[in-house]
Amino acid sequence: MEEVVLRLEKAGYRHSVYAPRPLQPWRTRPGPGVFSAELSLYEGSILGLVGPNGAGKTTLLRLLAGILPLQHGKICSGKKTEPISDQELRKRVGHMPEQVRWQGRKSVQQALTEIGEMRHADEKHVNQLLKLVGLQSRMKSPLNELSQGMRQRLTLATALLGSPRILLLDEPLNGLDPVAAEAFILLLKKLTQKGVSIVISSHRVDGLSGLIDRLALMHQGQILAEGTMDGVAQDLGLENKTEIRGNGRIPEFTKYSLDEEQLDVRSVKESWHVIINKPQPNLLSELLNDGCFVTEWKIRQPNVIEMLCAATGLSIEDVGLEVASSATIPLRTFGGEEE
Amino acid sequence: MSDFSRIVKLAKRLAIERMFSMRMYIMLPILVLFIPGMAWGFSDPNIILPGGHQPENAMEVLFYASLGVVFGATVCAVLLSYDSVSRERASGVLELRLSQPMPRSHQAISIALGAWKAILIPTWVLLLLSIIIVRYRMGEWITLGDFGVYFISTALILLWYVLFTLMASSFTREQATSISFGIGMWFLFTFLWALVTTMVAFASGVAIGQENDASWIMLEGALDLLSPNGVYHHLLESRLPQIDRGIEPWQSWGMALMWTIIPSWVFIRRMKRVIP
Repeated sequence: MEEVVLRLEKAGYRHSVYAPRPLQPWRTRPGPGVFSAELSLYEGSILGLVGPNGAGKTTLLRLLAGILPLQHGKICSGKKTEPISDQELRKRVGHMPEQVRWQGRKSVQQALTEIGEMRHADEKHVNQLLKLVGLQSRMKSPLNELSQGMRQRLTLATALLGSPRILLLDEPLNGLDPVAAEAFILLLKKLTQKGVSIVISSHRVDGLSGLIDRLALMHQGQILAEGTMDGVAQDLGLENKTEIRGNGRIPEFTKYSLDEEQLDVRSVKESWHVIINKPQPNLLSELLNDGCFVTEWKIRQPNVIEMLCAATGLSIEDVGLEVASSATIPLRTFGGEEE
Repeated sequence: MSDFSRIVKLAKRLAIERMFSMRMYIMLPILVLFIPGMAWGFSDPNIILPGGHQPENAMEVLFYASLGVVFGATVCAVLLSYDSVSRERASGVLELRLSQPMPRSHQAISIALGAWKAILIPTWVLLLLSIIIVRYRMGEWITLGDFGVYFISTALILLWYVLFTLMASSFTREQATSISFGIGMWFLFTFLWALVTTMVAFASGVAIGQENDASWIMLEGALDLLSPNGVYHHLLESRLPQIDRGIEPWQSWGMALMWTIIPSWVFIRRMKRVIP
């Protein structure tokens, strides 16, 4: 087991939202945020932070980056029990916020050097980082001339200033072309080999499963499940699925001792596609014996969306289209945090 | 690198960025017309001011020319610094800055110093030019004491306007709100303060606008301590023995200190709590 580099213990933060009254136009009340978050970051591992819009992913990352102050709980380093100071936390953490819109007439190098000075990074280190993220040829370009992908790369370079032990990435793949995204993923893997612990918050859950070592599912400000992919699936009672594609007549699956509830059958013109919620090792031979034309057969792990649905108890539509409102309350309530 | 040198270095970067910005190129002709232009005009040997008054010495000419600072340089200070925080907040760069280990108070100080230096350096250069113009036109240099008070008080009034604007910039999410606040403050202290003074005088039973009425002069002098422009003029008047508005130099310097400390404290406190 890798060493724990940072622990979040019962961490909580609620944003203030405006709730004006006729005689108190400035009145605010606690709104959505993060509730009693428990999370450990391990050396050299990549944690995927997944949840629908408004789940509290960005707030959690900002707490970990020392940008937002904790209202409850604490952040500890390694096995220590006393909380780590904000400044010490920020020394250890590199933070890549979502969609930084770099603008202005200053050059890429000047922009990075300026922030680098806040971490005592010298010019050599700045130039190395620009080379690492593929912006060496754009060093002297004004920020106004950068594409969205280049801006993302510059933000990543900023997060890597000072060689942090923990890297927090909020939607890092946004704006990157497929090749750049692949290069980015390779870079992250290299960093983990050096012992850097990475947290990625992303909506692009399909690309995450091959990259992450651990998964944390968030919804309405809570971490609903956390662990390895297999561990989370097991905790949620999800089994591997059988996915079959074929052409011609759709087979009568119920005659193979399968309940209709276990089946998700779809057909387009002459081809069909079925997902069975359990592994079915003998089904393929039975289908072939019955003369069915099977073009593809695979057993796959439950994906992140399925895990999220299972963790929240909601359907894909409900999870996907729900956006936390200011009136959001956690699924479970924790002592003393509600009004 | 020590904390202090890091603050100074960052401030220098910010100052250079703003000093060579497009808006500075736009404002520079205004500053040139207002500061050395006024010094040229008021140092005319044949000038007759309203009331038949003629400036007696170089410092008095520079005192009148300080209107260029009040009308021109202060508004430029607002226009140079209104987006120092709000723009970075809107673009997401502020979040990156706040995630760095440099303490937020140090970041706040470097932002304030950077924005201040960006307007201070060109203004000081123009003040120097004004002094040379006055020497050329009147054949008289100001004393070293006058020089110190003139430059320090100008630096202070610019700092106050920069701090007001930075406070607004750190509180607002929209740059338009921040610039509105800065311009509003400038408008209040530059144009509307006379109205405030008049209203207070009326409420206190003091005859309004009687230039030879001692109670009016005293009231106006006292109320000017509550305005940055007023304090600026009080500081300059401390070098003009012929002007007496009932305010001692220590009172003017004391209020100058208050106008410096309170906005600085509010701005630093705000930056410590700002949420990107």
